[in-house]
Amino acid sequence: MAATELLRRGVRDHRRALAAWCVGVIGYVALVTAIFPSIHGSPEFKQLAENYPEVLKSFFGIGAGGDITTGAGYIDIELFSLMLPLLVLVMAVGSGARAFAGEEDAGRLELVVAYPVRRRDAVLAKGAAVAAEVLAVSAVAGLALLVLDPIAGLDLRAGRLLGAIVSLAVLGLLFGWLALAVGAAFGSRALAIGLPAALGAGGYLVNGLHGLAAWLDPFRLLSPFWLVGSSPLQSGVDGLGLVAVLALGLVVLGAGSLLVERRDLETP
Amino acid sequence: MGEGPPILTVRLSKTYGKTVHALVGLDLRVEPGEVFGYLGPNGAGKSTTIRLLLGLIRPSGGTATLFGLDSWRQAVEAHRRVGYLPGDLRLSDRLTGEEQLESLARLRGGVDERLRAALCVRLGVVLDRPIRQLSKGNRQKLGIVQAFMHRPALVVLDEPTSGLDPLLQSEVRALIRETASDGRSVFLSSHSLDEVQHVADRVGIIRSGSLADVDSVESLRERSLRPVTITFADAADPEPFAAVAGVRVVGVDGAILRLAAPEPAMDALVKAAAMRTVVDFVSQPADLEEIFLELYREPDGGD
Repeated sequence: MAATELLRRGVRDHRRALAAWCVGVIGYVALVTAIFPSIHGSPEFKQLAENYPEVLKSFFGIGAGGDITTGAGYIDIELFSLMLPLLVLVMAVGSGARAFAGEEDAGRLELVVAYPVRRRDAVLAKGAAVAAEVLAVSAVAGLALLVLDPIAGLDLRAGRLLGAIVSLAVLGLLFGWLALAVGAAFGSRALAIGLPAALGAGGYLVNGLHGLAAWLDPFRLLSPFWLVGSSPLQSGVDGLGLVAVLALGLVVLGAGSLLVERRDLETP
Repeated sequence: MGEGPPILTVRLSKTYGKTVHALVGLDLRVEPGEVFGYLGPNGAGKSTTIRLLLGLIRPSGGTATLFGLDSWRQAVEAHRRVGYLPGDLRLSDRLTGEEQLESLARLRGGVDERLRAALCVRLGVVLDRPIRQLSKGNRQKLGIVQAFMHRPALVVLDEPTSGLDPLLQSEVRALIRETASDGRSVFLSSHSLDEVQHVADRVGIIRSGSLADVDSVESLRERSLRPVTITFADAADPEPFAAVAGVRVVGVDGAILRLAAPEPAMDALVKAAAMRTVVDFVSQPADLEEIFLELYREPDGGD
């Protein structure tokens, strides 16, 4: 009862921001797909992409089977290797940080916690609200691609696209829940944004560079981006990696919901 | 289930870091049907006490129980029976008053809608406008409604009448008195004695983290000094008045004598005045503000 109300309120409080994110994602996806017809099958572009520095090629999955002039390769490189994960992660971390630490900073949590509501249930309900937002933005990106595919002639495989969207959502869940959990455990909004941002950037770098630096290679196992796979439309996603990242997200959320029971609530 | 008193604290303490003693060894007991006024200047530890009672922060020492339920470990169970108005009330700015109250009612569960509506009418709550457009007083009314709307056995109010106009202040006092005559309890914090003296049965006074005094309002009033002004037909002589126990001569101005006297000294004062020709005799009601000030002055005396 109380938990459903918190979930409902959590979604409601962020609905404007969520709508703005969805519009932004649709716009970006539309822009990227609109450019595709002029690249499609062009040998000059293929040549250009292959002449990129190794670092960039490594980051965007060019070469190694990646072909920017095919629909799948183009969308992988232009959307799934950086921009969509970045957009979803920024949205998820912002939402997760606001959901608990932000409410606490604003002094609005005091009344809620003085109601007959377990703190851990409040954190889990907020976690469900963050999940709903992440799933919504990811689904919107997927739907936009599905609708634009025939117009731009991307020729994507529906199953691969679904996998790509699921992996996008799972990455969003991990970082959104991390922000929520850090905020719940420590009551600091700055830390709730900063820690996931740092870990996200680190994980992204490791995934992009591990092939170029041998000493970095073992660390790829720690990167959620590597675990889910960064060319989802061309090479598919790693199911086991997805499950591992989702499980990690749940563990983080669970830890946050336990730690919040032990600390003093901050006064604004 | 063993039923404890609405509020019981035993050597309750809160220390921040190693050096900031926000609350030291508080022993307090509030009975059913009692209105307890909790007085102290800003920063004395009133809000710390309240946040400990509600389990928002964890005691560094001692215990606080509400109806026998530990306020930290059994907070959720305790909260079912408590209504709380925070001192610094923050609501969801985008919701209307109605939406905010409905959301809080769902969060609590089992709130009687008719009681909520009746409270809103009684306090003149603005329900249809977004909260960000409301004045402080109108927000405060929403806070008061949510604290009372589920008929809690204990209401904890942190500075409840701040921002309210005098008419509403007296309406809130009436609400508090009715709650107490129902056998329910109210814990009321304030930095102003005025807010508390007409409504509280007992008053606790807190000063830099520890309880300085607990007494009934009546007995505080007896101890407190009333301003007495006597005007004589000719020059006033303070001598016989100064001799009465407890009386302090404030000033002599020709025929006018100003005194400060406790209630039990009144008879002797009147009899002493009657030896001479009296033009006027004015005794004003004791204001607890006096005793309040006395208590606060004490620590400065040694400086």
